[in-house]
Amino acid sequence: MKITVKRWHAIAQWQWDTGKTDDNGDAEEDVCGICRIPFEGCCPTCKVPGDDCPLIWGECSHVFHMHCLLKWIGTAASKQQCPMDRRPWGETIAHLSVHTPRNLDRISISSDRREKGRRE
Amino acid sequence: MALPKRIIKETERLVADPAPGISAAPHEDNLRYFDVTIQGPDGSPFQNGVFKLELFLPEEYPMAPPKVRFLTKIYHPNIDKLGRICLDILKDKWSPALQIRTVLLSIQALLSSPNPDDPLAADVAKHYKEDEAAARQVSKEWTERYAT
Repeated sequence: MKITVKRWHAIAQWQWDTGKTDDNGDAEEDVCGICRIPFEGCCPTCKVPGDDCPLIWGECSHVFHMHCLLKWIGTAASKQQCPMDRRPWGETIAHLSVHTPRNLDRISISSDRREKGRRE
Repeated sequence: MALPKRIIKETERLVADPAPGISAAPHEDNLRYFDVTIQGPDGSPFQNGVFKLELFLPEEYPMAPPKVRFLTKIYHPNIDKLGRICLDILKDKWSPALQIRTVLLSIQALLSSPNPDDPLAADVAKHYKEDEAAARQVSKEWTERYAT
């Protein structure tokens, strides 16, 4: 039997690789500790999730929506401290390097961004 | 201005899954204003008391802390006559990772462990430092008189 593919419809799904949760992870871990909106959603001031509303990783290993964190760090009350542990906030650049995508089955393209998941 | 999603989520959870001994309900006409009750912790002079508080979420919340005040009279070294509370997380130790729930749990804990070395009500603190047993007795009487 010979099969000819005439048409195919790919569906992509992406997720930030926070390095913290597995796919069955605790939902509480998947939200920004500042706005409580899932990492995959955007911060309260943005309309669209994705690269325009990225995440930011601290040296202390805590992750937030970048916009939420910068808003906090911009206040005098923050004393430039991480909201989770009050250690001096420093951004880590470790996460800017290429990630090993998880969840990547079937169709994939390589990505040098901080995303993982199935893609067309 | 629309109510931020975070406040909606916090409110839903406070109502659906309240912390033990704590209730918080928003006003219908102002969803940033909450009527709160905290039960006096067992083993403290506030035991069996139910204390009313008001909690307001300012526009900047969660970048700024909620404003919380006791409405029920209470004899406590860190709570003054006007119900204002001396608690670090409500001032310089605020963090946006804290929530209404954690703030109210901290206030409940403050009832169990008064700190007369960082007083707001100077006379009460002095009383607690000079004769703790007598001061606790007054706290107990005030609880029976005003918080039951």
